[in-house]
Amino acid sequence: MSAFIDARNVPSGTILEPDLVIVGGGPAGIAMALALANTPLRVVLLESGGMTLDTKTQALYDAGETGAPYLSLEASRIRFLGGGTNIWGGWCRPMDNIDFEERAWMPYSGWPFGVAALKPYYPRAQVLCEAGPWLYEKAEQWSPEMGPMLAFGEGGVVNRWFQFSKMRGSELPTQFGVRYADELKRVRNLSTYLYANVTRLGLAPGGARIDTLDVAALGGHKFKIKPKAVVLAMGAVEIARLMLASNDVMAPGVGNANDLVGRYFADHPIPRNIATMILFDGKLAPYYLGNQTIKGGIMRAGLFPSEKYRRTREVMDSSITIESKTELDDLGKAALAATAAGLGVDGGNAVAYSLGGGCEVTPDPDRRFTLENERDALGMAKLKLHMRIADSDFAHFRATLKELGRQLLASRTGMLRLNLKERAQWLEGLDWGNHHMGTTRAHSDPKKGVVDANLQVHGVANLYVAGSAVYPTYGAVNPTINLIALALRLVDHLKGALR
Amino acid sequence: MTELFTRRNIVIGASSAAVLAAAAFEGVRLIGKRRAPTPYDDLLARLDDRDADAQIGEAVLAGFDNFDPKTVAAEMRQRLERKSLPEVMLDDVRGGRVMEAGGWVLPETLALLCALAAKAEA
Repeated sequence: MSAFIDARNVPSGTILEPDLVIVGGGPAGIAMALALANTPLRVVLLESGGMTLDTKTQALYDAGETGAPYLSLEASRIRFLGGGTNIWGGWCRPMDNIDFEERAWMPYSGWPFGVAALKPYYPRAQVLCEAGPWLYEKAEQWSPEMGPMLAFGEGGVVNRWFQFSKMRGSELPTQFGVRYADELKRVRNLSTYLYANVTRLGLAPGGARIDTLDVAALGGHKFKIKPKAVVLAMGAVEIARLMLASNDVMAPGVGNANDLVGRYFADHPIPRNIATMILFDGKLAPYYLGNQTIKGGIMRAGLFPSEKYRRTREVMDSSITIESKTELDDLGKAALAATAAGLGVDGGNAVAYSLGGGCEVTPDPDRRFTLENERDALGMAKLKLHMRIADSDFAHFRATLKELGRQLLASRTGMLRLNLKERAQWLEGLDWGNHHMGTTRAHSDPKKGVVDANLQVHGVANLYVAGSAVYPTYGAVNPTINLIALALRLVDHLKGALR
Repeated sequence: MTELFTRRNIVIGASSAAVLAAAAFEGVRLIGKRRAPTPYDDLLARLDDRDADAQIGEAVLAGFDNFDPKTVAAEMRQRLERKSLPEVMLDDVRGGRVMEAGGWVLPETLALLCALAAKAEA
């Protein structure tokens, strides 16, 4: 068992020569490092932070922002071992087939591979997330013991299940840094460096491969790494920054010959109280309102647009959750009375619930990161985000909610109020998922994507990207389990490529 | 001295009070329900609570630039000629014909009947 190495104690001038460097100790980087255990490859894992939050390290995220209101990056990312899993909610759900498909009505859609390419890796990703047995829709076999599922009848919105990363008593979901620190230390072919920031990707002359990484620790120590291959696994924000800022050999930056790095940034908008749902009989199973343990899985049901509905009606993805009971105003009471009477159902026991959820956004090349002139404590150019969100993104979500309302009426189960209409209403109190995606999108055509189907940066033979930065489209499910599956798939490719 | 609270007096008093209260209540109810006749009374009779339905109807009308009650009424009569309101409402939602009233997603026929109720109150 070897201890983690504090980069602040590495003598300046040191040169490391591993087979592979993984930059970023979040879920993707940790999953890859563990998956490469006991291979002949000598692996270095670099983490910018330590084992806990450090304000000076966290301040390296400081960035400018313009456009639509968005979170402060300093607050929405976490820079210590475990990365985003230090603050995640543990929500897991695999993406759907349609998420990978090219859709004529959705600009810039289409992954260079389908969900089948990820399926072999989901079971291991589920284990790493400690999300219990693979249940998801299978939970419906046992959930009726707690109460029936909502019956919407035919239509576009269907019941689907989230599974949650394991909670231990009052502990949060699995934090990868804490959970896997000891396992990482036991990997004999792995050296993990904390407080190690890569400040430059040094391209070889001609720009066809990475020759050197410049690494710096806050406090002044600097060293170099000359690896056979590099995986960038720091998240969509910092990956774009490092590639853009490494512009000494290729002026646009690394892998940016087609001006794509930093573009198509995305997150999941999380508007609050999007709709009010009335159930005429007032009955709602507990697994809709919160997590419930079912057959060893921590489960919660949500409402999603079906793949068929998304295809035929040409709507983007969204997820709807039932949040809490709510009160009706006079119009709501009148609408309930008139509708229940009109449908010939008893609304005397009706209960109203507030709905929440999140939605997919359209890939947008102008929702992007660029570099600012201002520099951070390590001398790296700071980022500037130009955030955008299209009215059509909200319209797609609203159309799905309206379909849910129609289904509730058709099944004589209940009814629904759409609480948000105008853009200003959607933006008021809008939260985000902290699901940073895009910026180095995958596409087989170098003019349309930064990385190829193997997640190798186009034109740079030994540089790869792991994580949700490669998403060309985003779906509406939480990215962690999906990006881990992507990272594990990349490991299998690297085992062959670096043989 | 005559006994005031005899059993007979109490029964008579209580009965009189009940009759007066009932008459007053019914009078107010009858006065409250009195409405001028409208060309859509045959349709509005299908609704349960005209006041509440008119409130919904106002919200429906907010989504219209031009609402022609005569045309709508003719359409409603056609829909309801051979079917009950619950049947027509289910036909609506199964056929995707829904309308919004202050955000509430309603079967189109119910929404339009409510709009007629609002017009009748205007």
